[in-house]
Amino acid sequence: MRALCWNGINDLGVETVGDPRIVNPHDAILHVTMSTTCGSDLHFIDGYIPTMRKGDVIGHEFMGEVVETGPAVKEVRVGDRVVVPSFICCGSCWYCEHDLWSLCDNTNPKGELQEPLLGYQTAGIYGYTHAFGGYAGAHAQYVRVPHADTDCFKVPDGVRDEQALFLSDAAPTGYMGADFCDLQPGQTVAVWGCGGVGLMAQKAAFLLGAERVIGIDRFPERLKLAREKVGAETISYEEVDSVLDVLKELTGGRGPDACIDAVGMEAHGTGVGYAYERAKQALRLHTDRGQALRQAVLACRKGGTLSVLGVYGLMDAFPMGAIMNKGLTVRSAQQHGQKYLPRLMEHVVKGELDPSFLATHRFSLEDAPRAYELFKKKQDGCVRAVFLPN
Amino acid sequence: MSDTIPQPGALSPTAPPRGVLPGRRDGRLSPDDRLPQLASALVGGALLTLGLRRGRLGGVAMALAGGGLLFRGTRSEPEPHVRKHGITVRTLRRQRGQGAQVELTVLQRSLTINGAPDALYRRWLEAETLNQVMGHFADVTSPRAGQQHWKVPGVFGKVLEWDAKVVEEHPGELLRWESVGGTELPNEGWVRFRRAPRDWGTEVTLRLVFDPPGGVVGEKAVKLLGAVPAALALKALKRFKSLVETGEIPTTRPNPAAREGGYAS
Repeated sequence: MRALCWNGINDLGVETVGDPRIVNPHDAILHVTMSTTCGSDLHFIDGYIPTMRKGDVIGHEFMGEVVETGPAVKEVRVGDRVVVPSFICCGSCWYCEHDLWSLCDNTNPKGELQEPLLGYQTAGIYGYTHAFGGYAGAHAQYVRVPHADTDCFKVPDGVRDEQALFLSDAAPTGYMGADFCDLQPGQTVAVWGCGGVGLMAQKAAFLLGAERVIGIDRFPERLKLAREKVGAETISYEEVDSVLDVLKELTGGRGPDACIDAVGMEAHGTGVGYAYERAKQALRLHTDRGQALRQAVLACRKGGTLSVLGVYGLMDAFPMGAIMNKGLTVRSAQQHGQKYLPRLMEHVVKGELDPSFLATHRFSLEDAPRAYELFKKKQDGCVRAVFLPN
Repeated sequence: MSDTIPQPGALSPTAPPRGVLPGRRDGRLSPDDRLPQLASALVGGALLTLGLRRGRLGGVAMALAGGGLLFRGTRSEPEPHVRKHGITVRTLRRQRGQGAQVELTVLQRSLTINGAPDALYRRWLEAETLNQVMGHFADVTSPRAGQQHWKVPGVFGKVLEWDAKVVEEHPGELLRWESVGGTELPNEGWVRFRRAPRDWGTEVTLRLVFDPPGGVVGEKAVKLLGAVPAALALKALKRFKSLVETGEIPTTRPNPAAREGGYAS
């Protein structure tokens, strides 16, 4: 089959690889109908997350049609149209049973690669480094889905592919970030980043009862989506002297009740601090640029909640003092998609959520390297590029 | 430590108290002792960083090595003759016979597994279980109950084989086995099941002890197990856990990739 492969840092190519097969009894094989780029892919494409190998198939946000099931699969049937969370979860370990799905104990066959850095292993992810299991990704004609009964979610007939696709990752990640904030009526949430996850976090904050949502970014078209599709207020950080001052003015000097970081380790920023961090990262002295996260820590009101969705490795100059002295609650996780997917699908069916506006561009799989270039450089107003591999 | 279970074998399953140096009861290190530790920690940190930025598996190996050094650098050596590779992974130099030095490799790891101790104990005894659990380094067949034949494809195409028999059984609690007859690599092992707090299930501890005869032959035998015997016990427990909890062991073999003819792991 054809698949998008990582051939080296900033080197993607569409290659011919073997078709996936049923390996374990709970596996299913999906014919991929749609997959999409994710900002977190850029971290290993740019070489900031290690343990990629030349020829790895990438892509972790996808949906498809079931074409084959293993002997122990009971509920999922050939022909089902399903969306699959990016984290592979067994459904039967302590973590899965406690709705902490991305912490699943049983789906990372290479957990020993994570233990030196994390202490313990996490769940595996499709197409996202060998430290996260080394599973082949979904920017391909077919993909193997382990634990199919746990991880495949049927898409109801009235829901279009583009509406269901982002329930794989962007929507549940954003929703989880807003859920972490334990929002009370009348509260204000600020969200750093107006990409797929940031926009979904903003939308979810409203669904969960926030009164005001403020989106922060620098790309006019993304800020426009936040205003028009989500109903958020926006701040373009390149057009203001101080995001902190603006947020204070918007909130009567208190600051936002909750701040969500939907940016991660390759944050862009302004000024001397950004130039210093960019240089350090370019020299590979550390993996993370933390401008957005630091700003969120500073801006958050005393006693507020900091919800971290951005992906990080090792960050120095982390403002622990501000977190401690202001008494912030920090919540973070990789997405627990299996927890949120059913309620998100319900929101879609009821017309309360339509993530399809994230799909600004469509490409065939053969054009995927060009699509990632467009997505990375945020050219032509690209928020998410969607692939139609078949 | 349970008081009800007789501790198997001559080896205590608990590691000696950490941080206590002979002749230094307070466990503190003098500045002279601390220096190499600090150096080890610094080098470890540098390797960790370098490994991370390599962006390849080689990089991770380096990061792992760095992590190992960090680990060692921040802990003191409990006894001069014990080389610590981890909390419970030890190589002991032991006097034997005519003063020959031998290395005793002790691998011990614990993992919490969903399920009751009784059920996990029974599962461990099922004919196919041991072969699946040890599948990452050994083929284990069970010609009859209480007996096993272990076959380890070592490095350099050399195969290590031994017969083992169960020598101690405490249903629902502990099972101990020992190699029997002549083998290059005499060994023993036990697995212990203890109820974990709340709804965590069972704490399962696996201990493998390789106790080769003295001299060059014995040292070579341990090396045949490969570069990282420390990982064997934990890996075996993880495989047992996945098998018990999900009915399968996670794997990426075979996995579509643009290398090695279209499939890689």
